[in-house]
Amino acid sequence: MSAVIEARNLSRWYGNVLGISEITLDIEPGITALLGPNGAGKSTFMKIITGQLKANIGQVRIFGQPVWNNRHIFRRLGFCPESDAFYEELDGLEFLTGLLSLYGYDRKECLDRANRALELVELKDASRRPIRSYSRGMRQRIKIAQTIAHDPEILILDEPLSGLDPLGKRRIIRLIKEFRDAGKTVVVSSHVLPEVEALTSEIILIHNGKILARGDIHFIRELLDSHPHMIRIKSPQYRELARLLAPEEYVLNITFEPEASAVVFETHHRDRFFNRLNELVLDPGLDLEEITSPDDNLQAVFDYLVGR
Amino acid sequence: MKEEILSVFSFYFFLGRKSGRTRTFFLLSSMAVLMALVIRAYRLAGHWTEDGQVIFQNFLMVFFLQFLIVLLGLFYGSSMVVEELDNRTLPYLTSRPVRRVAIILGKYLAYLSLTTVMLVFAVLLSYLILNLDAEFQAKDLLTVLRYSVILWLGLAAYLSFFSFLGTWLKKPILVGLAFGFGWESVIQYFPGTTQKLSVAHYLKSLLPQYTSSSGKLGFLFIRLEPTRPALAIIILAGIILVFLVLACLFFTYKEYLFED
Repeated sequence: MSAVIEARNLSRWYGNVLGISEITLDIEPGITALLGPNGAGKSTFMKIITGQLKANIGQVRIFGQPVWNNRHIFRRLGFCPESDAFYEELDGLEFLTGLLSLYGYDRKECLDRANRALELVELKDASRRPIRSYSRGMRQRIKIAQTIAHDPEILILDEPLSGLDPLGKRRIIRLIKEFRDAGKTVVVSSHVLPEVEALTSEIILIHNGKILARGDIHFIRELLDSHPHMIRIKSPQYRELARLLAPEEYVLNITFEPEASAVVFETHHRDRFFNRLNELVLDPGLDLEEITSPDDNLQAVFDYLVGR
Repeated sequence: MKEEILSVFSFYFFLGRKSGRTRTFFLLSSMAVLMALVIRAYRLAGHWTEDGQVIFQNFLMVFFLQFLIVLLGLFYGSSMVVEELDNRTLPYLTSRPVRRVAIILGKYLAYLSLTTVMLVFAVLLSYLILNLDAEFQAKDLLTVLRYSVILWLGLAAYLSFFSFLGTWLKKPILVGLAFGFGWESVIQYFPGTTQKLSVAHYLKSLLPQYTSSSGKLGFLFIRLEPTRPALAIIILAGIILVFLVLACLFFTYKEYLFED
């Protein structure tokens, strides 16, 4: 399959701050996810491929054409920016018809397309309400509606699932998959691994402006599983709990926090740890107040991968 | 290109009509009408004996020419890009199949139309209020039309200049205020050619020199060395054109970044 988006040695700085560095990749039809912690360079990459920013070095081509100031490419592209920004005075329908009119559609066509997009994101009932009265999830959905209303061939979605409730997320994930099934190219960014897993298995790991790895999601999962996890348990019997778990070979380290009545375990096998914990909880007299994972986030995984 | 400009114009004219800023500036423009009503009441009470035409001309100089058109031009023109950056809505525009030149021209025309409505409403109504008792003749209509056209030219010139500032600078308001209410106010009282470095000079050159020797606001014409009307119109048109072209060039080639 031929690449729709081709990036060659893309580098971008903001003054002395590095945005992205020497990114070379081809993106083909289907869903490709950019996965990385905040500030990794995902948004910079997306802004460059949508013509919002220029690369300092390198070039990007979509359908073989340069992107900057190329309105023929913009017609075939839908961009959902990350920021929660709108023309707040407008209602949902006015927002969409206004933006659609910039494609040169007549009034009727704008209305038809806007209504169709509103139906797809399930905002038809709220279409005449001012955007300023929308909830965070509704705002996210109207942003996605403006991305798809002109039926683009490429969708660039910067953190499209942020702020959505689980039901909203499911709807948008289903919609994005429908676009993939229709043969379109979708590039999605996220810093939440489970969101990406629900969308695609084709991921690009990006960190400190560089591509760290590219490939199947299972590869990342394996990396995750071998990553030592921190599990913090708050319990009045935290010392007893530590005594019971200390002999387990997958427990690498134990740290006490007496002032919080808590103990932090480090394990490289989370599933086995939790299975054993479940067994212990069933024992009478062991009372657990809180279980948290201080490093259960993408940043921790990346820190681990880059050997920090 | 024409269709692109028209589509941007329609969108921003519609957006402008719904915006709180338009309501605020419409109210501000209406202050002229309010002041005219107060003066009218004052005259009816016999405290003001000057002719309605003269009062209106003073009004024109102080409120419309030196204040309102500068303010409208400044706030609408300088917001051209900065507003989109501050509100982070710029990607909605720049990811559409519309040339950047068309975005600037469409927005310029939308803002010019909105501010023209405000200006003409205030000029016509305050003129009528102040001259209600006078015998209204066709030449009076021509006079008010002439004033309106001069003010409109000034508005278009200021809007063009401030649009250029808006596409060029990150914080155009401060520079704009200094230019509009500092430079423009001071430089026109300088003798010789220096005064020709202001928009106000060419606007004043198009007005009748009725107050040059007498009247309450005669001081506003002190040292005015008028440019010939035809030349003044050409120069004003040139200012509009040059700064619009510069604004289009800046917006086409400049990269705009959000604050963070």
